[in-house]
Amino acid sequence: MAEELKHEQVRSRNEPFAQRVVTQIWQEEPSSDNPYIAAAALCHGYDLFELMEKRSFVDVFYLLFRGELPTKAEAQLLQALMIALINPGPRHPATRAAMNVGVGKTDPLHILPIAAAVLGGQHSGGGEVESAMHFLSKNLSSNPHEFAKTFLQELTAKNITFENSQTTPGFGKRNGGIELMALGIANRMLKLEGAGNALKWSSEMVSALASHGISWLTTGVAAAVFIDLGFQPRAGGALFQLMGSPGLIAHGLELASKPILAMPFVGDENYVIER
Amino acid sequence: MLSSDKPISNSNPTNSNPTNSNPTNSNATNNNATNSNPELIDYLEQRRGKIISNTGGWFPGKGVFSHGYSMLEELVGEKSYFQILILNATGKLVDKSLADWVEALYGCLSWPDPRIWCNQIGALAGTVRTSVMAATAMGSLAADSRIYGVFPLIESVTFIQQALAKHKQGLTSAEIINEAFAACKGKPYIMGYKRPIAKGDERLEVMEKVGRKLGFEIGEHMLLAYEIEKILMQQFDEGMNINGYMSAFLSDQGFNPQETYQMFSMLVASGVTACYLDTFHRPPNTFLPLRCEDIDYQGAPLRKVPD
Repeated sequence: MAEELKHEQVRSRNEPFAQRVVTQIWQEEPSSDNPYIAAAALCHGYDLFELMEKRSFVDVFYLLFRGELPTKAEAQLLQALMIALINPGPRHPATRAAMNVGVGKTDPLHILPIAAAVLGGQHSGGGEVESAMHFLSKNLSSNPHEFAKTFLQELTAKNITFENSQTTPGFGKRNGGIELMALGIANRMLKLEGAGNALKWSSEMVSALASHGISWLTTGVAAAVFIDLGFQPRAGGALFQLMGSPGLIAHGLELASKPILAMPFVGDENYVIER
Repeated sequence: MLSSDKPISNSNPTNSNPTNSNPTNSNATNNNATNSNPELIDYLEQRRGKIISNTGGWFPGKGVFSHGYSMLEELVGEKSYFQILILNATGKLVDKSLADWVEALYGCLSWPDPRIWCNQIGALAGTVRTSVMAATAMGSLAADSRIYGVFPLIESVTFIQQALAKHKQGLTSAEIINEAFAACKGKPYIMGYKRPIAKGDERLEVMEKVGRKLGFEIGEHMLLAYEIEKILMQQFDEGMNINGYMSAFLSDQGFNPQETYQMFSMLVASGVTACYLDTFHRPPNTFLPLRCEDIDYQGAPLRKVPD
């Protein structure tokens, strides 16, 4: 770098940034004598105190994200999903991250941000939910049986294994086979009045692929329900993190009161460096 | 010693499922076959309770190892922290001069200005008294952004490496630019050029000076990056930004897009910490205070909650 290069003088763009943040979600009404203290809060126009008296948590949750209160069928579908996703389970890497926070005596306030971040992965996490929602949105207008047939033909023609295929995010194998819990959750969701096109299309698609060990993944069930409830793909990943958070926190807290010996520590004899 | 990682073949599925024997499965039915691939189950079984690493580890009484080096005998005190950081991030033990260049670059992205989005997370965390580690970690995470910070390095390194490959095949800089714009539906946009808030980037001259001081020559990626900048300056009055500069420089040093992303995962951390402390030492919740009316509500008007 012998020569010295000349660059332009740095100057501000003076871009027209907004003077105030705009929201359509929440309005805080100031008190009469202090503009920094709210006297009332409205969620999409509904008074929060009135919502507390009249509606369920699930109703207000739906309102917060969708802007309107849900029908009974929508609320039932959302509640069923929230129960289904409430705990990723003690073997999920996100839960194990929470457990490490707890048993390591990290401040329990850090359980949620740490574990929720791990629940945001492209595999078994929020990233996969978002991808699955894009996949479903793109293919819902097709015939699910035809889709399955073409999909299998393409895999064979390209000589690629299903494990390496990124074609059907949210659907496939976990640990080598059908994820039975996801299948069970999906089958129960399908019986609900609010089950929509995404759940039904996905069900038909996987029924044509089941003999190949391909079925629902939990992320796929979440994706289908989110689409049927009108959520956008970008929201789906974050909502998946949110809905799994109770389980993450519970498992983290459970280990927080236990000694550091309460979790396995792999012995040197089982630690192999491949070089 | 376990067998090394190998691809799982796509063998015909079977109904073999060792987990089906679990008597506690309260939902067990005749219909719970998983059609699993036995090879994958075997693969998992081999790794149950074991860690297989191609990176390193700590063996009490024997040493700590990273990518084949004894950390306490060959690295700590012998190599700089940034040499170790790059080794852990990429598996490559680079010369100290390159590690010093990367360290200088970290300084370029450690500004204590809370108007920058990731830094503001630090300031907001400080004003509500989270821990400094939560603030720094979360602010650093915010730099995993599509438009600023660390994540765009993947796109900008990919661009300049593909651009050089095309250049060697005969495409001119102008043709490379036109191709890039066409890929953006005609928008005059290339990652690594232009910058939010300000025109120009004062960090380029500083890093060029650092490069000269450390003895680096201008490589072929950087030469092309300058050529592209020259055209963009003439046509759009927009130059290269620090992201584009570091992408070209590190491409000349042999790093791929993912390695570049990996070695800068905590690039903004220090600036976030600084912004945290600035508000942490002031009365709580006084950083950029907002009146209720400072939020512009444009949603539904007051309505009655249906029963």
